[in-house]
Amino acid sequence: MDIIRDMLAMVRDKGGKIKPTHLMYKANLSHNQMKLYLQELEKNSLVKKSVADNKNLILLTEKGRAFLNKYAEMKSFEETFGL
Amino acid sequence: MQFIFSPDWFLGNDVLIEGFSFLVLATFFFLCWKYYKLSKNKNMLYLGTGFFLIALAQLATICTKLVLYYDTSFIQQIGQMVVTYHVVKSVDIFYQLGFFFNKFLTLIGLYMIYRLPDKKKFSKDFLLAFYFIIISAAASANINFIFHITVLVLLVMIIQNYLDVYRKNKSKNTLMLIIAFSALAFAHFIFTFSHLPLFFVAGNIIELLSFVLLLVLIIRIFRAEYKTKTIRKK
Repeated sequence: MDIIRDMLAMVRDKGGKIKPTHLMYKANLSHNQMKLYLQELEKNSLVKKSVADNKNLILLTEKGRAFLNKYAEMKSFEETFGL
Repeated sequence: MQFIFSPDWFLGNDVLIEGFSFLVLATFFFLCWKYYKLSKNKNMLYLGTGFFLIALAQLATICTKLVLYYDTSFIQQIGQMVVTYHVVKSVDIFYQLGFFFNKFLTLIGLYMIYRLPDKKKFSKDFLLAFYFIIISAAASANINFIFHITVLVLLVMIIQNYLDVYRKNKSKNTLMLIIAFSALAFAHFIFTFSHLPLFFVAGNIIELLSFVLLLVLIIRIFRAEYKTKTIRKK
């Protein structure tokens, strides 16, 4: 789950859209790993693929943003109580 | 046996404070449950159960005090029963049960929160602790300060646990949690003198402050922002 939220945060930090290759390098994942995680993210509607100017892009969905906020809250709560 | 410690001019305000406390505790339980569903961290569930029990305790005392302080039809029915059937002790039993559950649930909830850092939460001495908690809650019916001293001791031990957490994480939220629990511990120290009306009022006000701090903590947690970690190794 840490990898998934890191990937979502990377997309968010790039203004909500990122090229797949950029995400792969930033997340330090192999091509196959990247493919697996992206499938999982798409399946849960946290990201969606898009084509713009002949470029493949990964877009962060509203559900993805909400997941990031919820995850941040949870991490803050865990840190507060030392869980 | 004394049931009412509140002076007349403060009557009902203690119920309002307990109502506010219930809402804050219920919110903590709700957050623990929500985050447990996300992370499947059992400690989260355990912490939530502790808060839930203390919230239930507040609810028990609110229900008992509402009946005790205000002339409701329920009181009238009990009064009628007392007159008709000479059941003198039925009213006393209701109040005793209500306050017993308040004390018992509070102590169990606090004990669960205290045991959180331990890997074996339900070790063999849990049964012994459970027994002492029942004794403390039952004895508090006649000697009220026993309950408050027990709560104070549990809170001091909880604060020590969170001081250890703070030394590791240096989190402002943990510090705020420690301050809130310290205020609550001080409130219960004041409550040991609650046979004196002004001490009862002071204890309630300090208790209110501690729950306001916990509410501020909840708001701070909601405002947490996630920051991306550094690149991990493959």
